[in-house]
Amino acid sequence: MKTLEEFENYYNKSLRTDLVNLDARRKRVVKRFLITLFAIFIPSVAIFIITGLHLGIAASVIAFIILFFFWVRDKLFVKDFKEQVINRIVYFISPDLTYDPKGHINLSEFVTSRLFLTSVDRYNGDDLVYGKIDRTEFRFSEFKAEYKQVTTDSKGRTQTTWHTIFRGIFYIADFNKEFSGSTVVLPNVFGNRFGFMKKLMGATRREKLVRLEDPDFSRQFNVYSDDQVKARYVLSTSLMQRITEFRKKHKNNVYLSFVDSKMYLGISHNKNLFEPNYLRSLVRFDVLREYFDDLVLAVGIVEDMNLNTRIWTKT
Amino acid sequence: MLIPVLIIAGVLLLWLALSYNSLVSKRNAADKAFASIDAMAKKRYDLIPNLVSTVQNYMKHEKETLTQITEMRARATSGNISEEEKIDLDQKVSRAVSGIMVAVENYPDLKASTNFMQLQGALNEVEEQLSAARRFFNAAVTDLNNAVQMFPTNIVASMFNFKTRKLFEITEQERQNVDVKTLFSS
Repeated sequence: MKTLEEFENYYNKSLRTDLVNLDARRKRVVKRFLITLFAIFIPSVAIFIITGLHLGIAASVIAFIILFFFWVRDKLFVKDFKEQVINRIVYFISPDLTYDPKGHINLSEFVTSRLFLTSVDRYNGDDLVYGKIDRTEFRFSEFKAEYKQVTTDSKGRTQTTWHTIFRGIFYIADFNKEFSGSTVVLPNVFGNRFGFMKKLMGATRREKLVRLEDPDFSRQFNVYSDDQVKARYVLSTSLMQRITEFRKKHKNNVYLSFVDSKMYLGISHNKNLFEPNYLRSLVRFDVLREYFDDLVLAVGIVEDMNLNTRIWTKT
Repeated sequence: MLIPVLIIAGVLLLWLALSYNSLVSKRNAADKAFASIDAMAKKRYDLIPNLVSTVQNYMKHEKETLTQITEMRARATSGNISEEEKIDLDQKVSRAVSGIMVAVENYPDLKASTNFMQLQGALNEVEEQLSAARRFFNAAVTDLNNAVQMFPTNIVASMFNFKTRKLFEITEQERQNVDVKTLFSS
């Protein structure tokens, strides 16, 4: 895995000079946006406050929108950003990886993971990365799944609200051991004080609670599986430690499952990753570093979980 | 006067039945866990003749260990041995197999042969599954032992003669790194 220092070198040597152009475009967008704002919007608001002419403000909003779309906006900026920044960082981390800005993991994969049993009504995702590191194939992308709730009030009006089931990075890798069935590792929100809650929370699942011997691990996670022995075959003592460490490193909620020789891992996130921020320079190392860190975090899961160790029958 | 007594007796009886049933289910779970160790151990015993025939042409100095391991296999698969003996044999075989795996380092030809590599994968696999089964057994036995020793279920347990069971312990020898020399000189 590439280190941060190597990335800094790469950044100083080639990435930085190549991004000057893109950064100039970013600056232009910001500048034009501000000019437009000052030129038409602020005076018209002032007029509105003083004289109260509704028509004036409506006209200036329309003018602003028109200008925004034909003068301010750089339609290809996001696309070029992903190609020139994210794509290159992905390639830098490993040439064996492919980046697809519009791709995402499939809904069927999300469902197969058995991590979230609520049926999904709407989903989207982007920034798919896939490939092979050493002997382990994997793919991950940003993913958001939601379900719909329709409520009807006393007057018969219906209201639809959307609730998030999962939002963050969803990661799928070929696991290094062969097995069938499913074992699910969920964050333990209650701690160990309410041991009975662990069982209760799995009540709607097909899988049964598995009590594992690692106390640190059990404090942080609840494990459910359809086979007690297989669950322990998958969750070896060393893997439990690795998962605990992984969780410490990320602080966000981590969901893992092992279904039919595949590993699924969800890291919740509230921010949209791998997107440009217009207000921050692209020729600053600390800005690019964040994209690098986020990508390394996901690609590094293979090593974090020791998936390249293939000493069992599966090759 | 009679009704409260009847109610108390009924509640007691219900509690007795529930405790008894939960103890039985815990004991059955432990039995089932032990059976899964047995199943995995059998898988491993099936691999041993294969292992011996693969390595014996190369390993001139470990003849004795190979004979020992074959004997242990014969004893384990002969049936009619107690649970304790099974556990003991299982641990001995584990040690012997891992000892052979370490000794293989001295035979580069053997180590590189595809036949051996496949076998090694299969053995690692079985060993990993065995360790999973042992851990499940320990979890089930801990559950049973807790119920047998803790108040108030211990009353029911002693009434119906439920006994605590021994856990699969990692022996002192296993905790240390495998020392090939002592293994083969013994």
